[in-house]
Amino acid sequence: MHVDEEQLARWAVEGDAPDPAAADHLRSCDRCQAELDELRRVSDLAHSLPSMEQPSDEVWTRITGELDSTEQVGPERRFRSRTLAAAAAVAAVAGAGIGVGATLVATDEETPATPTAIRLEPLAGKSGTGSAGIVQVSGAEELKVSASGLAAGPGFYEVWLINTDGKRMVSLGVLNPQAGGTFQIPTGATAQGYRIVDISLEPEDGNPEHSHDSLIRGTLPS
Amino acid sequence: MTGAALWRVSAGPAWVTVRAVTSKDAGDPTAAEIATAFAEGRDAGLSAAYRRWSGLVFTLALRSLGSRADAEDVTQQVFVAAWRGRGTFDPDHGDLGAWITGITRHCIADRFAVRQRDVRKAEAAVRLADGGAAPQVVDEAVVDRVVIADELARIDDPRRTILRLAFYEDRTHPQIAEQLGLPLGTVKSHIRRGLLQLRDRLREVSGDDARR
Repeated sequence: MHVDEEQLARWAVEGDAPDPAAADHLRSCDRCQAELDELRRVSDLAHSLPSMEQPSDEVWTRITGELDSTEQVGPERRFRSRTLAAAAAVAAVAGAGIGVGATLVATDEETPATPTAIRLEPLAGKSGTGSAGIVQVSGAEELKVSASGLAAGPGFYEVWLINTDGKRMVSLGVLNPQAGGTFQIPTGATAQGYRIVDISLEPEDGNPEHSHDSLIRGTLPS
Repeated sequence: MTGAALWRVSAGPAWVTVRAVTSKDAGDPTAAEIATAFAEGRDAGLSAAYRRWSGLVFTLALRSLGSRADAEDVTQQVFVAAWRGRGTFDPDHGDLGAWITGITRHCIADRFAVRQRDVRKAEAAVRLADGGAAPQVVDEAVVDRVVIADELARIDDPRRTILRLAFYEDRTHPQIAEQLGLPLGTVKSHIRRGLLQLRDRLREVSGDDARR
């Protein structure tokens, strides 16, 4: 009977030693021992990760330029630069979103003024209030969010930016209702219409979709 | 067939009544959708692949070569080579991200070779001695770290936030639980499963490299 992989992952990240029976098994089972070693290696690597970086927009232009000049001309193969240029514009914005995530600096340290702070108002039938404001941090935009009086419930609170076109949204991360939080905004997102700040209550169901359970909301000025 | 088809979102009621929306609706086609469009030679496949993997390619090249200019050159080479070689990519039997990562290794190795040649030329002008330094190869740990960082950025919340706190900021599990207002058991469970998720991704990518 091999060791459950979640148990192996636990030993790999939590540093507690396998119990005697399991240790016996690991000594005699190459497969489980190899898997544990592999998970320990992943955990070690994960503790020294590089930050992801994006090439300048010019690289995409160079790629389409190089392909444009050499691709066979034909009804199917002909490169449509305009399509690509438009796609590149989308790529530039969403690509920046790859690294989206809470910057996780929900500290009480002194923070820059948030002149654009807006109030987040409860939706019909909901309770709570909050504020959200854009802070410029070394050229990038961050959203500073605080909330109070949110309806308690099982699950967690998630901060979203909804596009004013009503069709798209991005998740910015998990909000601690007591401490508030600061979240990276994908480059150019607010200019693209992602201006509605929404805080939802999300069940712990593994479903990444918005739960439909929005609590408070407000719109950033354009 | 334009790019719009690939990440078109279905029309729905206005935002006031929030529909179930995922980050996919925010403009991210799945890796499989991108791979299919790419293999079929659709323009949208290339732009979507670039959007999805240019960060990985560029970061890997930058960490290996230490120069933004060289890393941008490599990024260009990789996507041009991938597009021209798309006929050899089979979306049913391979992962496009892993395939592109493999091309990136080759392009970085080529760049190392060019640098070494340049160094040898310079040295030869001074002394006609042995230029027999071992060829520099791509550091596997760098590849693995970039692959992990790229995958981590795509994991859904709350797991992504939890893993970022644990790995990037070296917070303890109780600290994370307190910061996010989540039960400790939930935090630990997400970290364990997240580690397995990262391991699985790493296996997919290195498995593909082995075949190349």
